[in-house]
Amino acid sequence: MTASVSLDFATLARLADGEPAWAEEDVLESATTLDRFLASVERRAFRIAQMAVRDRDDALDIVQGAMLRLARNYARRPSDEWKPLFYRILYNGIRDFQRRRSVRSRIFGLLPGQWGDDEDAPADPFEQVAGDLPEPSRQLMADEAMQTLEAAVRQLPERQQQAFTLRCLEGMDVAETAAAMGCSEGSVKTHYFRALQTLREKLGEVWS
Amino acid sequence: MNGERWTENERRARELFDASVEGLDAETRSRLNRARQAAVAEVERARRSPWRTWLPAAAAASVALLAVVLWRMPGNGVEPTAQSGDPSPAAEVVEMLANGEGFDVVNDDPEFYTWLAAQELPANGAG
Repeated sequence: MTASVSLDFATLARLADGEPAWAEEDVLESATTLDRFLASVERRAFRIAQMAVRDRDDALDIVQGAMLRLARNYARRPSDEWKPLFYRILYNGIRDFQRRRSVRSRIFGLLPGQWGDDEDAPADPFEQVAGDLPEPSRQLMADEAMQTLEAAVRQLPERQQQAFTLRCLEGMDVAETAAAMGCSEGSVKTHYFRALQTLREKLGEVWS
Repeated sequence: MNGERWTENERRARELFDASVEGLDAETRSRLNRARQAAVAEVERARRSPWRTWLPAAAAASVALLAVVLWRMPGNGVEPTAQSGDPSPAAEVVEMLANGEGFDVVNDDPEFYTWLAAQELPANGAG
């Protein structure tokens, strides 16, 4: 009597990627294309993440995670799908981070002498740890208009923030924004319209 | 506020945002660059040998299956044999897995353990 346990790695590879392995030249070309794409979005993605989480190191971690996830899971998708996919991953990362931070804040809020969730509280213990910005960014962040805009955008509901950031700041069209947000184009238009309405009320003449 | 004014506000917002992007410091740019390179390297590695991503898990699964098969074989219990006092191969594998050591070992040399799991084994475990 014998017992045999075997694995078919070709099957595993197909399961992993859904397709056979790529030819060498395809790998190099795709890597080059991916590098070019990531280079085109990385700084803007970082600023979007930084606006949302208000911390440079956390924003860098979120962007790095989004890059890796796009490379691992979606590099074989057509490159024209990468942008909405990347921003979708990015916003998922931002949301996960904010949830974790919210839990931490609640835990610290239970401790005597600690601060709660108040956004205007002057000394969030987590922001104090890694919140120092380099001088050039500090100068830019000191720009009153940008600070005011960022603060106003942060106060928007999450979906309105996303619609405004992707449509207005990132310059994506409605279809791309809908793909990135995972909703219909009609929803994008609604969120964007409401975001603009709120910002107009809050900012008034600031943008002019 | 009319539509034209609002368009101007949108343009202004984008200008502010673009300026803040352009003003990123060298260290942040460098870290973004390194993050990008790591991502590109990752996809190159995965594409050159996609099976490697699955190998540790596949090897661990193989060892687990091997242990189950050996466990079910007649005469291959986990108790040491009466004559030698040594545990049988099946008992060693099962005990290793039960102690949580199996997956660490497999991760050390997944190809070997996958090969091992693919071998036909004698029913009595005598080798």
